[in-house]
Amino acid sequence: MSIQQLLPLLLLFPLIGAFINGTAGKKLPKIVAGSLATLMTFVSFLIALTIFLNLDQPVRSLLFTMIDIDSLHLDAALYADNLSMWMTLIITGVGSLIHLFSMGYMSHDKGYYKFFTYLNLFIFSMLILVLGSNYFMLFFGWEGVGICSYLLIGFHYDDEQKGLLNGLAARKAFIMNRIGDLGLLIGLFLMLLSFGTLEYEQVSRMVLVDKILPNGNMLFAITICLFIGATGKSAQIPLFTWLPDAMAGPTPVSALIHAATMVTAGIFLVVRSNYLFHYAPFTREIILYIGLATSIVAAFIALRQNDIKKVLAYSTVSQLGLIFVALGLEAYTTAIFHVTTHAFFKALLFLGSGSVIHAMSGEQDIRKMGGLKDKIRITHITFLIGTLAISGFPLFSGFYSKDEILGYAFGHSLTIYILLVISVTMTAIYMFRLYFVVFHGTFRDSKDVEHHVHESPLSMTLPLMVLAVLSVIGGVLNLPGIFLHGSGTHFLNNLLNKNVAGLDQIHNVHPDHTTTLILMGVAVAICLTTLFISSIVYKKKGSVPSEDAQLSAWETFSNKKMYWDELYDILFVKPIEWFSKVFYTIVDSFILSGIIEGVVRTVAFSGDIVRKWQTGKVNSYILWMVFGIIGFITYYLIKL
Amino acid sequence: MELLILPLALSLVSLIIPKSTRRFAALLGALASIVIAVVHLTSFHAGAFVELFSSNHQTFFRMTYQMGYDGLGLAMILLTNVIVFVILLANFENVNIASNKMFNSMVFLMQFALLGVFTSFDLILFYIFWELSLIPVFLIAFWFGEKDRKRTLLIFFIYTFIGSLAMLFSIFYIGTLTTGNYDYQTLVDIEMNTKTALVVCMGFFFAFAVKIPLFPFHTWQPETYTKSPMAGTMLLSGLMLKMALFGILRWMLPLTPEAYHCYKYVIIVLGLIGVIYAAVIAMKQNDLKKIFAYASISHVGLIAAGLMILSIDAFTGAVVQMVNHAFVAVGLFLAADIIDRRLGRRDIQTLGGIAVKAPKFAFWFAVICFAAVSVPLTSGFIGEFLLIKELFTDNAWIGVLIGTTLILACVYTFRAYQLSMYGKESSFNFNDLTITEIITFAIISIIVVVFGIYPQLLIDLVKPSLETILMTIKESSI
Repeated sequence: MSIQQLLPLLLLFPLIGAFINGTAGKKLPKIVAGSLATLMTFVSFLIALTIFLNLDQPVRSLLFTMIDIDSLHLDAALYADNLSMWMTLIITGVGSLIHLFSMGYMSHDKGYYKFFTYLNLFIFSMLILVLGSNYFMLFFGWEGVGICSYLLIGFHYDDEQKGLLNGLAARKAFIMNRIGDLGLLIGLFLMLLSFGTLEYEQVSRMVLVDKILPNGNMLFAITICLFIGATGKSAQIPLFTWLPDAMAGPTPVSALIHAATMVTAGIFLVVRSNYLFHYAPFTREIILYIGLATSIVAAFIALRQNDIKKVLAYSTVSQLGLIFVALGLEAYTTAIFHVTTHAFFKALLFLGSGSVIHAMSGEQDIRKMGGLKDKIRITHITFLIGTLAISGFPLFSGFYSKDEILGYAFGHSLTIYILLVISVTMTAIYMFRLYFVVFHGTFRDSKDVEHHVHESPLSMTLPLMVLAVLSVIGGVLNLPGIFLHGSGTHFLNNLLNKNVAGLDQIHNVHPDHTTTLILMGVAVAICLTTLFISSIVYKKKGSVPSEDAQLSAWETFSNKKMYWDELYDILFVKPIEWFSKVFYTIVDSFILSGIIEGVVRTVAFSGDIVRKWQTGKVNSYILWMVFGIIGFITYYLIKL
Repeated sequence: MELLILPLALSLVSLIIPKSTRRFAALLGALASIVIAVVHLTSFHAGAFVELFSSNHQTFFRMTYQMGYDGLGLAMILLTNVIVFVILLANFENVNIASNKMFNSMVFLMQFALLGVFTSFDLILFYIFWELSLIPVFLIAFWFGEKDRKRTLLIFFIYTFIGSLAMLFSIFYIGTLTTGNYDYQTLVDIEMNTKTALVVCMGFFFAFAVKIPLFPFHTWQPETYTKSPMAGTMLLSGLMLKMALFGILRWMLPLTPEAYHCYKYVIIVLGLIGVIYAAVIAMKQNDLKKIFAYASISHVGLIAAGLMILSIDAFTGAVVQMVNHAFVAVGLFLAADIIDRRLGRRDIQTLGGIAVKAPKFAFWFAVICFAAVSVPLTSGFIGEFLLIKELFTDNAWIGVLIGTTLILACVYTFRAYQLSMYGKESSFNFNDLTITEIITFAIISIIVVVFGIYPQLLIDLVKPSLETILMTIKESSI
């Protein structure tokens, strides 16, 4: 089979899985429903692997023409190059592992089949997003994953206490995403205006080969609109507050959608459009600073969160900010590299937290945990690996990818480098705090809960182990030049530069070897120092995060999420509600209705006058007819 | 001709069919009218004009009988017949209404009037059908509506009636400009100066603006939708307002292109205000029907604004969105009715926990909600994409502002959905959907999704006639 034929199959399997589970899942035994969904994703992964290994030049596969009006031609088509296939591998690969994990994690849930339906549907939408051959298809997937995210965040809508809150979190995510979507949509319109097409191949050919470029303002507008879309999906300032709330969804969802895949869609979008951003330096500047600010703000908030998932959520926002810094510096392969390693270790951490929560009978507050390291060994070891990877512990995957970003930042400006180092340091601090408070010290919840603590089944621990291995060795995907006798591997770099439009034209200056070594030294020092101090504070002294009331000013500021939600409430929600009230009670019910009522009264009581006024002019049966209707109706009204 | 005669005949036959079989007969009749429309469709060639009836013999007031359809007309015919069927199906379980002979009779009379509106190519004829359509829907609302409907319905009637009267003046005024007939081609060919055209178009505009309804002529609508029985609301929102949008496209724009540049932005801005204003109001309403009523104002504001952009993309988008809105509106009101009929209340603050009791209902209601917020893969997305794109191309700021409908719609739709469906289990009884209700929802969803994935089906049908209309307008507006 040719790649052209294989591509639609890739999408078909998750769709079939969703369809079967959606229609007949209720009657299927749980194990069948879960295995089916997992298998479908895994088959997709295998197909993706086949395509990936055989792909040389980009391949486009037309499904059908969706809209064909004279000026507008939009195809439903798929497009495979190394970028979209690499993303596909992450989505289906990590996706399969998370499906497997969910089989155990969700085993007690009555909506089991529904969960897997949504999960498969999500994979399908995400694949459309990355594999679509034009921005229109991307938008389809873009909104599709938004819907799945909505459904999965609000999955436990029937919960006794939190049902409505879960719904609210889902709504918030959907609405905030839609704000970004509007930006993206307008970007699409602008592209249609400038290029007359939304096909990646055509746009890139125009820009890169024919050198047909819209003027600077237009390019700025296009790229900034795309970036607004990206801030929504990838949770950047100002549209990031939905992501922590999205933790209301089941933990595998947080791992898959809100850490490893969906939230990287914005990054994919920018990398895909790199040749547009290349000519829009001002937009890149904005991306750089927004990413930087997001990274620091989120890391700061994560310092004093006590919900295990919230810490990880803010950590995700922070890491995404870091990646956007890379995008702002045009270090696209580095960005994808960190997306990849982040997918490994963040999925691992989330699934690990799921395993912890599972063991804790649903408890998510780290102040009630403690001393879990001997009770759930596999979870402990894998979680530790995840923590080390994200904190940039030497030779773990996060170490390499983060270091590349720091290297480019250093090359760009010292200030940005220092600010990033602060963010990275905070990352290490909150991650080690999380790790020690959860796994060391003494158990702090009731005896009842302690009695129940148990290691998760193999279906849950197996994905943890696989992801742990990947988190350790993930760095080899793009080893820097100083390793392997100076040649380095740069596997991912070469891969993406090979056939992804635009990327081979960008030449980033790699820091020289000495600088790289010094920067690595700094990073290692930070990580080790933080590890050392944290182990003293939390392990030796056995400190426990204090109660909310005892927090100092900056701690409260961090704990209360810097009052972002409250700010938005004052700025947007409250005014709109006020307008809603005024529009309804004053404008609509009083002014507009009042006028009409006055007119209606006049007319109703002066029908005679109206008629006399008319008859002179027009000889009309029609008027009689309509007056007949009035009489007819008045008759009924009187009779009532 | 059987296209029109069948509903009229059905309207009469409904009166004599025995009560026990009435609702089945009505469904069968509606199905037959769909079949006839489909037969017409199969023999239709894109771009053709099919004459249904033609007589140049002048009757009273120079009226002739010119009836027929082009692609656009046929699309509207199909829409009418399918929607009528869906409405009958939606009310099938409500035996008090569905087995009432007057109800069935009036629904078919409405269908007859609507088909007349969509196929008239003589302005006087158009007007008669236009006026005729008001009677059945008014009577349905009047006979089967809620208790305190009297005042509301009076306002509704007189308001739309004043609108129609304004249109009638315009019609007579046009009559003084020509000695010929009132048939379409004669009227389109009339050359007017801007001032005359403006006077003529104002009458049409007022009639259409009230019926759509366009801000600030909308105040009759939420009250009327709330007080009418569900069938009435569905007829009003699903079909009657399409008459007005159709009227703009078929009559107002081609007749008065000379004044186009005068009213273009008036209507766009009114549409824009309506989109935002109604959506903002809908956000804090608690009556399900009222929320959906304001939602409807918000959605049609976009269509009306889009119709003012003279491009094939905008016109196509408007037609797609008209079709989409008809189905989605019927679906939303059906959902509200299901809750209302089962629980006797529809204030979302007093609802909650229904999803647990009725998972099937929760599913289908959610599907309709997603269609209502125009997610991709539903026809609403295609319609809004084209409309907003064209509005944006015309004026970036208007495009961005009107694009906020994407966000606002989510806010009120999902608030309504979640407050009524989510939450914990309570003690009330809520029977899940019956098979007819599922079929109704399924039909709506399938149509919306099919046009969402493959809109070209609809586009191919209507594009040639929209191009003709566009040509007509552009020739004289420049």
